[in-house]
Amino acid sequence: MPVVDGVELPETPLLDELEKGPWPSFVKEIKRAAVESEKAMKAGKKIKLPGAAKGLLKVLELSYKDKRTHWKHGGIVAVYGYGGGVIGRYCDLEDKIPEVWHFHTMRINMPAGWFYSTKALRAICDAWEKWGSGLTNLHGSTGDIILLGTRTEHLQPMANALAYLDKLYGSPAPFDIGGSGSDLRTPSACMGPALCEFACYDTLEACYQFTIRYQDELHRPMWPYKFKIKCSGCPNDCVASKARSDFAIIGTWKDEIQIDQEAVKEYAKAGVDIEKQVVKKCPTGAISWDGNELKIDNKNCIRCMHCINVLPKALKPGKERGATILIGGKAPFVDGAIIGWVAVPFIPADELIDKCCEILEAIWDWWDENGKFRERVGELIWRVGMSEFLKVIGQKADVRMVYAPRNNPFIFWRELQD
Amino acid sequence: MAEEINKEELKQKIIEYLQKKPWQVRDLAKILRVKKKELDKIVQELINEGKAAYWSSGSTTYITTPEKLKEMEEKRSGV
Repeated sequence: MPVVDGVELPETPLLDELEKGPWPSFVKEIKRAAVESEKAMKAGKKIKLPGAAKGLLKVLELSYKDKRTHWKHGGIVAVYGYGGGVIGRYCDLEDKIPEVWHFHTMRINMPAGWFYSTKALRAICDAWEKWGSGLTNLHGSTGDIILLGTRTEHLQPMANALAYLDKLYGSPAPFDIGGSGSDLRTPSACMGPALCEFACYDTLEACYQFTIRYQDELHRPMWPYKFKIKCSGCPNDCVASKARSDFAIIGTWKDEIQIDQEAVKEYAKAGVDIEKQVVKKCPTGAISWDGNELKIDNKNCIRCMHCINVLPKALKPGKERGATILIGGKAPFVDGAIIGWVAVPFIPADELIDKCCEILEAIWDWWDENGKFRERVGELIWRVGMSEFLKVIGQKADVRMVYAPRNNPFIFWRELQD
Repeated sequence: MAEEINKEELKQKIIEYLQKKPWQVRDLAKILRVKKKELDKIVQELINEGKAAYWSSGSTTYITTPEKLKEMEEKRSGV
């Protein structure tokens, strides 16, 4: 049996394979957590589940050996008054590995843009080391802080610890549980204007407002299935909103890309091949460069962001900023992947939050009334037609709304043969 | 007053249904012929009163009674 820092770890020859190679390894981290929690317990720290990480290593090793999972999915939602945020997990090896018999996941609402102070992170980890396995996953696909593994009886105390994290653990602010099940999942946003010059609206403010306004929808599942909102500040779409959310708010601009001609020349002088790296890469051929002046035919710009990404000091999104709303994006389930497609081409930045709330509430009423069990809003639109959906949100059909959304998030490029 | 009595009767009926199996509110609304939005509020009251509880299949959420919840949890955890 391997011993690390005086702590015995289980034999895991199959898992050990996942520690090889130059990339980070979750196995290495689980082993580290197993050692740390045992050391902390020996040092007299109050820990409820000291053997959880060790137990997890044993279950994972067995799963690889048996070629099947030993987890049972679903079940209790045991925080008082909440219908989401806790995902029940039980292990079917309760007699062999009782340390992970209950191994529930808690989803915690992350701050908009994932900005934390180390003090806040330490406080979350301290609380979780006391009431759970100490293992975390930052972040889950919706963006929540994922706390992996605790017992049913520790769910409520952990939720209470989060609600008073400022008073009990010295966090700058308390935290709340996020969404799961048939509810509004925790809204998420890119870092937006806090760190990025391309942000066309305040993604952080939008995300915060949706989270606060829709607390009921977030904590009390009431719909046919889940609903995700993601806010991206520009068409780079760093939070993958068009592929990963039912309601994607993607920043864009209406007027012309701002060009600083002197800065373009500086880029050229510094060795950037403007013709090859920018002009030829424009998907609509809307850019020209004569060695002295860069021109953009803005009517043909499709907001791919390539030129702006290559020349960030010289090019900026236009001044008339706002966002496009895309609807129906989702990862595969009932009907396969759907990339969100345009529902509202442009909403000015200063009207964005109120207008989005108006549209969201109309969508939810309609979907709740007409959606089938486990049918995402995109699938409902697909079933009844976009024209029905446009009536719900009070929009007229527009050429920018395509007939059918893309259903493959990957683009495979092949050179044309002569 | 009459409205209160109806609401209490409705709550009682909901509990009777919940005792049979876990339900989605939308299906209960159809059976009880009540608008779903109204039923959402009443179910929330029942949850706050401790007479109903959420139960999750893992990805979808149902409403059940606390007794049934305990029973299903025990079954799921293998007790």
